[in-house]
Parts: sequence; C-alpha cells; structure tokens
Amino acid sequence: MLPVLQVGPAAIQVEGLILLLGLWIGLTLSEKFCNGRGITSTQLYNLAFFMMIGGLIGARLSFLLRYPDAFIRNPISIISLNPGLLDIWGGILAAVRVGLVYAPRTPIPLLSALDALTPLLAVLMIAVPLSNLASGEAYGKPTTIPWSIYLWGMHRHPTQIYEALAAMLILILFWPSRWSSENKQPGEYFFLFMSLTAATALFLEFFRGDSQIFLDGIRSKQVVAWGILASCLWILKVIKHPRHPEMLEDSLQDRG
Amino acid sequence: MTASLRKIPLLQVGILLFGAAWIWISKVPQESMNQAAPTVPYKGFSAPDFEVTTIQGETVKLSDFHGSPVVLNFWASWCPPCRAEMPALQRIYEEYRNTGLIILAINSTHQDNLPDVKNFIDEFGLIVPVYLDFDGTASNLYQVRALPTTFFIGADGKIQDVEIGGPLSEATIRVKVQDLLARAGLR
Repeated sequence: MLPVLQVGPAAIQVEGLILLLGLWIGLTLSEKFCNGRGITSTQLYNLAFFMMIGGLIGARLSFLLRYPDAFIRNPISIISLNPGLLDIWGGILAAVRVGLVYAPRTPIPLLSALDALTPLLAVLMIAVPLSNLASGEAYGKPTTIPWSIYLWGMHRHPTQIYEALAAMLILILFWPSRWSSENKQPGEYFFLFMSLTAATALFLEFFRGDSQIFLDGIRSKQVVAWGILASCLWILKVIKHPRHPEMLEDSLQDRG
Repeated sequence: MTASLRKIPLLQVGILLFGAAWIWISKVPQESMNQAAPTVPYKGFSAPDFEVTTIQGETVKLSDFHGSPVVLNFWASWCPPCRAEMPALQRIYEEYRNTGLIILAINSTHQDNLPDVKNFIDEFGLIVPVYLDFDGTASNLYQVRALPTTFFIGADGKIQDVEIGGPLSEATIRVKVQDLLARAGLR
C-alpha cells in the first residue's frame, strides 16, 4: 500500500497517478486501433475530451445539488480542484449523456464509437484495481491462504490483484489487433467486453471484505453486475440478429 | 411451444442462472456482519485510541469523546498546506462546536517544536483545541504519511472518511462534518 508518494514538499496521490497513466495508455491504444472501426483519431479524442469535460462538470454540479449549503457559504469552492467535491455517479451519467448528444451531431456512429473506446475501458479496468491497491481500498475478506496480503489489521484476499489480473486477461483476449471488424456487427466488440467484465466483477465480489450489503447479506455490486451482464447479453442478441428495419439501417450506417 | 423454446439461447440463460446462484452463495453470513470492526486507521473500521497532551500539560484520550463525532486533524507548523487549511478548520469549529462536534488539531510535535507551535497558535488566533503528540504515537497509530491528514470519526467510533494531504477547502470539511452530524442524529 502506497497512498502517497512524498517528493520533497509535494505529496503526490499514487491513486490518481495510476488512473492518469491508465487513461493515457488506454487512449493511445484506442487511437491506434480506431481507424479500423470507421472513426478517426481526431474524432475519438474529441469524443473522449467532451465526455471528460462533461463528466467533470456534471460531477461537480451533482455534488453541488446534494450539498448546496456548503457552496452557498463558500461559492469559490465551486471551482475547487478538490476531487472530494465530485459526485462520481453524477459525473458518469453526465459523461454518458454528453457522449450520446455529441456522437450523433458528428459523423460518429455510436456503436462504432463504443467499439473504439473499448481498449481505453479495458486498460482503465486494470488501472482502477491497481490504484485501489495503492490506497488500500476495495480490500478482500480475511483468509488464511498462502498468497494473502496483510492489510488493515489482518491477512486478506488480495482482491485488487485478482481484479487487475482478470482485467489483464480480458485485455489480452480483447487485444484490438486480434479483433478485426470483419464479420462482426458494430457494438459487438464493446458489449462482449462489457459482458465479460460484468461476469468477472460478479464472480470476484465474493472475495471482497468491504461489499455494500442489502437484503439479508446480498452484495449490491453483484446484483448491479448481474443486471449489466443480462442487459449486455440481450443487446448482443439484438445486435447479432436485428429484426427491425431501423436497426438494420443503423447497423449499416455504423459499418460506414 | 417446442419451436419457441428452441429460440431461447440456452447458454445465456445458463450464465444468468449461474450468476444468480453465485449471488446467493456469496451472501455475507449474519455472524460476519455482527462482528466488531478491527481498530485500524481506515474508513469503515474502529478508530484506534490514543493519548495526547494539551499545551497546559493535561492528557486527553480519543476515547474520552466516545459518543460524539470527531474530526482529527494532524498538522505541523512548518507545513504550508496545514497553514492554508487551518483558518477553514477554525471557522468550522466556531460554527459547529455547539452541535456536539469535537475537533482535535493534533500537532505532530515529534516533527515540530513547541515554540513554533505556540507562535502558530498566536498567529492564527486558534481557538480550535490543539493537542501535542510528543513521541509520534498518535501519528504512527494513524499511519500518517503526509501532513495534513484528516480523519472524520462517527459518534459510534468508526472512521467515516480520511483525507490525506491538503489543504482541504472549507466546503469539503463542511460537507464531511454535515455527514458526521447527520449520521449521529445531531442535525
């Protein structure tokens, strides 16, 4: 565990550093392989940029709506750089909204855009557990297995390492150069990746020691992962066998 | 009937059924939920107890404040973000001290010196209670790796949040204090 890297007088948050590194590697990988999916690197960067800006503004606005009192007394804090004043889920929703609004206004086919962003997401899925390992978050439940790690007062399952290894395996399976868009429907690459990621999260949550619990011990993240898995499997079925003429049209448009 | 049944993708249904069964198997047992949280300096766990000294030489324990929400702020007089953060902490203390909120500004005295600490208190006109951690016991117990570090501890003695580094904005401290008070039923 290394939450802070002390470089002279500066305390650098290792967690944020790993996420930034993941973002950079992921975007580079997405850029390298986006052309084969009918998107130029400029279009990809513009989409990612607007989604990030939209996500940040949305996260701050959502936080502001939750705690208006704190900002009324200190209005300058609205532009504070403190990440603690961001609402993550508000940010994700805003980023998705911006993506959905932005993509159709440019000649970016939505499903192909999702395919192009998949390598970025795959790398972020490795970066997130590694950043959790640095900060000690997302820790495992107590165990006596030989590969346990000593964290927060006891030997625990190294869940952050399990999650990072599983994400690496998924990245290898979904390595962009191995997945040509020939004989594939637009969106198939993204939703297959999402299905596998959700299935992995559902499985690995069992080893976590910090799960949010509801209804007599049920782990809420597993239920969310199951819902995502079911939705992705259904979308995959629809994408592979489009019945409606509109979908066929969209599909053709996505293929360029 | 048979034809429509054939259309059901068996593999997908199998995966979802297995997933649902796994959720059931993964349920957290009741006895685990009722277990007391170990005392470690991280959110969700019980806050470790420690003893510090006031400027006047009296000793105080964290456990003396059990039942009240507590903000623990580790600082040093030479640390620029601590200096930048302290006025905000002072304003929060002035505003919330009558609600039952306890703020302990713990000076890392093993990395500081007493005359500088006293100058700091005078310079900022501090009324936030300042405590001295002479041998670094409290800092070590809380694994303080950077200054300032702030712990937000609930009335139940469990750590609700940790902020490593600073300076924290007044809005950040206010939001976390409001959460502490709300969970303690004091607001």
